[in-house]
Amino acid sequence: MDLVYGLIAIAAALAIGLSTIGVGIGQGIAASKALESMARQPEMKGKLQTTMILAMGIMEALAIYGLLIAFIILGKMP
Amino acid sequence: MSEFFKNFLAPTNTVYTMWIIIAALAIFGFICTRKFKDVPGPLQNVAEMAVGSLMNFFEEVLGPKRTRQYFPVLATFFVFIVVCNYCGLLPGAGEYFTVPTSVLAVTAALAVIAFFTIHTTGVMAKGVWGYIKSFLTLMLPISLLELVTRPLSLALRLYGNIYGEERVTETFYGIFPVILPIVMNVLSLLFCLIQAMIFSMLLAVFIAEATETEEE
Repeated sequence: MDLVYGLIAIAAALAIGLSTIGVGIGQGIAASKALESMARQPEMKGKLQTTMILAMGIMEALAIYGLLIAFIILGKMP
Repeated sequence: MSEFFKNFLAPTNTVYTMWIIIAALAIFGFICTRKFKDVPGPLQNVAEMAVGSLMNFFEEVLGPKRTRQYFPVLATFFVFIVVCNYCGLLPGAGEYFTVPTSVLAVTAALAVIAFFTIHTTGVMAKGVWGYIKSFLTLMLPISLLELVTRPLSLALRLYGNIYGEERVTETFYGIFPVILPIVMNVLSLLFCLIQAMIFSMLLAVFIAEATETEEE
């Protein structure tokens, strides 16, 4: 029974941990590119900021899917 | 089975919360727009500012003509979702009432409405045969798949974000109940707005794609 607890905990941790890696890299690239173009064209700052935040939110959904799966897995805890 | 039908359509905690939100929004709208003045008072000013900035927001995607056409449904989605999200910041959320958008049933219902909105607007803009013809390209399998995945991801994105936020705040409260939950609350001030923006923006993008005709 102890093994089951351990495996469930590891599974939940992996679900959220692994799904965060890709999102982190993606958001980093998006932010750096947005900053670059803001520095190049400061007059576009407002528009770029909105678009960047929207794109980041859409990326964040992927991490949230991982979080949901982690919660579902934790809910299977006997 | 009889037990099922007895509880069938019985209002739950979430439904009561949504009723209160709907009533509050309706009363706010009524008071703001009851008598328009040339020099707006504070309430009318708030309403005009909200409508103006939302229109600017959607015009980037839809263009001026279609924004006027589809503004009511998009703005309704935005306002409803943002108020639902923000009511999670009120004291007693999760204890005495449930945040509506942290329940999968609510977000799934919103996504179903969005699904029918997209295709109804598409059929209205292009006609039935014209809309079906817009699917018949090389990308047919992908566009058929998108019929399902779009509402699914809309529902899951909103539900997952708000539910996750509630759970994280709860966990923080469990760790140290004084300062830590406030940190998450301040962050969710931003996230709640962004989620509503994303939902309505994606809906606007989908509508723009469905109603795209050659002359535009």
